Amino acid sequence: MKFRGKIVDIACLNHFTRVITTISKLTKMCVLRLTPDNLYFVLSGKVANGGVSMWCELSQANFFDEYQMEGVSSEANEICLEVTPENLSRALKTVQSAKAVKIKLTKKHCPCLTIAAELPTMSSINRVVTHDVPVDVIPRRLWHEFKEPSMPDFDVSIYLPPLKTLKNIVDRMKNLSNFLVVEANLNGEMNLKIETDLVSVTTHFKDLGNPPWGDDASQDGGPSQSRDPDDMAQARVDIRKLQQFLMGQQVNPSKSMCNIVHQRILHLILLHEDVSLQYFIPAVA
Amino acid sequence: MNCVVEGNCVKAFGKAIHALSRIGDELWLDPSVKGLALRSMNSAHSAYACFFFSPLFFQHYSPGSVSEQGTETMTCKLVMKSVLSLFRCLASIERTVERCQISVGTPKDRVMIQFFCRHGITKTHNLYFQESEALQAVFASHLCPNVLKAPARLFGDMVMHFPVSQEEITLSMSPLSVSLKNYYEGGDDHMKTICTEMSLHPDEFDYFQFGGDSDITFCLKELRGLLSFAESHSLPVLVHFGTPGKPVCFSVEDMVLEATVVLATLIGSESRGPSQPTETPAQTPLRCAVIPVGSRKADSDKSLDIPAMTEMVASSQGSPIFNPDVMMQLLPHIDDSHILDVPAEACASATTTPASSMICSLLFRAVSSEQDDDGCAARLPVLACYSDTEEEMEEDCTRSPSL
Repeated sequence: MKFRGKIVDIACLNHFTRVITTISKLTKMCVLRLTPDNLYFVLSGKVANGGVSMWCELSQANFFDEYQMEGVSSEANEICLEVTPENLSRALKTVQSAKAVKIKLTKKHCPCLTIAAELPTMSSINRVVTHDVPVDVIPRRLWHEFKEPSMPDFDVSIYLPPLKTLKNIVDRMKNLSNFLVVEANLNGEMNLKIETDLVSVTTHFKDLGNPPWGDDASQDGGPSQSRDPDDMAQARVDIRKLQQFLMGQQVNPSKSMCNIVHQRILHLILLHEDVSLQYFIPAVA
Repeated sequence: MNCVVEGNCVKAFGKAIHALSRIGDELWLDPSVKGLALRSMNSAHSAYACFFFSPLFFQHYSPGSVSEQGTETMTCKLVMKSVLSLFRCLASIERTVERCQISVGTPKDRVMIQFFCRHGITKTHNLYFQESEALQAVFASHLCPNVLKAPARLFGDMVMHFPVSQEEITLSMSPLSVSLKNYYEGGDDHMKTICTEMSLHPDEFDYFQFGGDSDITFCLKELRGLLSFAESHSLPVLVHFGTPGKPVCFSVEDMVLEATVVLATLIGSESRGPSQPTETPAQTPLRCAVIPVGSRKADSDKSLDIPAMTEMVASSQGSPIFNPDVMMQLLPHIDDSHILDVPAEACASATTTPASSMICSLLFRAVSSEQDDDGCAARLPVLACYSDTEEEMEEDCTRSPSL
């Protein structure tokens, strides 16, 4: 197994660091899958995470100037590593001014992702900084846990209001209740509701727009097409999980939307030019 | 003692207090004719800092009160937290304080710190102090083979690669490079910690003196205060060090003040990787708390002028140290099996000549004056160990140094 990548462009380095910092705010540990074309940060939905799962896909060509990898074997040309994204983020943050940053899979006292950078200085010789971030190699037999999640058979899909607005609202609602109901319909209307013994609060959004998934999304073609546009699909979720998702976002995505499977899952999708992030929050009763 | 610090300097004074607060819990305020020294030491006696302000720093400075003209000025030991709380918010001090007056001695048991602020507001704080022996580390920096000098900014750039929580780092010097790496003690944690290493070319330093390959490991946390002080004043930082085990000294100076931080270094940090078995189940190397602290005489420079004494200090790694109770409580790595009596070899080297035995006693007097000399000196724990005599550590010492 070998991996070697090099980032030379400062903007790419910056963007890459921000993506990893966002991931680090969402989860303490996750799996990094490396394939010849992409990098994936995966969190599989387990009881320990509260059932939350995440899938973040980056196209390597948009970040790396050089990218070489050799997977476990030729049929399985992939590398799967368990990493602590915060360590990666911290290491990358210190080298933001570097001329070039190399990321390699190495074996020191344990398998590591080594981030090596040359920092420009006044004198002719550069400063060299290396960070060895320990990782765990995930054996092939466990790879099935980290596959790309299939698009759920959602009832409603809707574009989200600006994330900052959402975050402010969710932050305040968190003080009142532990659970939040997200509901939306095909008319571009979305509500965030909390309800306790003493108080109930609803925030209404209108004219959000619905993504034109068309026929691909609903395979059987039945329920979605004949759905009453005013009919709300809802999911009641743990408010802290939604808040954690919103807190971590550092950059405004070009597109943000959510799919709701009625009373089952809240599926949030953020699309930037070269990064896509999907986050699944299970609904609670 | 009475001094007045004017406007802009109050912030610098406050920053010095911030830097000192990173070192220890107590602050020694030591006025003398030459100036005012603020000192602190950590409880393990492995870090010492001194900020010395010459009379030029102050708008007005008088070291002793009139009635005590002929006697030594008093050293006050204050609780660091109390002093720090007065200088905590430097931004607001900069905005509102016009001058600050510090006086000791009237009444006798209090230090009075007064802030004369804008709008005619005066804030007066009285801090009780304990009278104490002066604290001064005896460190012969001119004997150190390795010397580095660089603007504080460079050091700041070097340490920024390490997380704020990083406790210890290793500084290595070779003819072609200076490098810093984080130091972690073995155990499960090393699987999860990032190992960071960075290296620079000697050209980046204003002054680079290579006296021998050296890798010293010391506590970074305690140093950050001084680096931040130096950076805010754009002062260059000088580093003096020798072989592992000997203390490292960081100093900055300008026309009106000098600041020094002396840190103990781990012994044999490089030779003892996690793969090498040590004698004891606890893998951590013993921290070498070799900051010999002398009692200050009337002329504080004297202790450094006696060549024989400084030679002794620089080479004697076997200096038995201080208050055994304090040591045993506050050194979590050391369990009873490590606490030894001074092995015979050290006693021999320390007491070969009458002159040197007297010097030993001078060094230790500051501490032993507070204990009974009833033989408990014989059982002072040796924390400064020497790396080549590990096997002998289990031996009991029959001879004790004569104090």
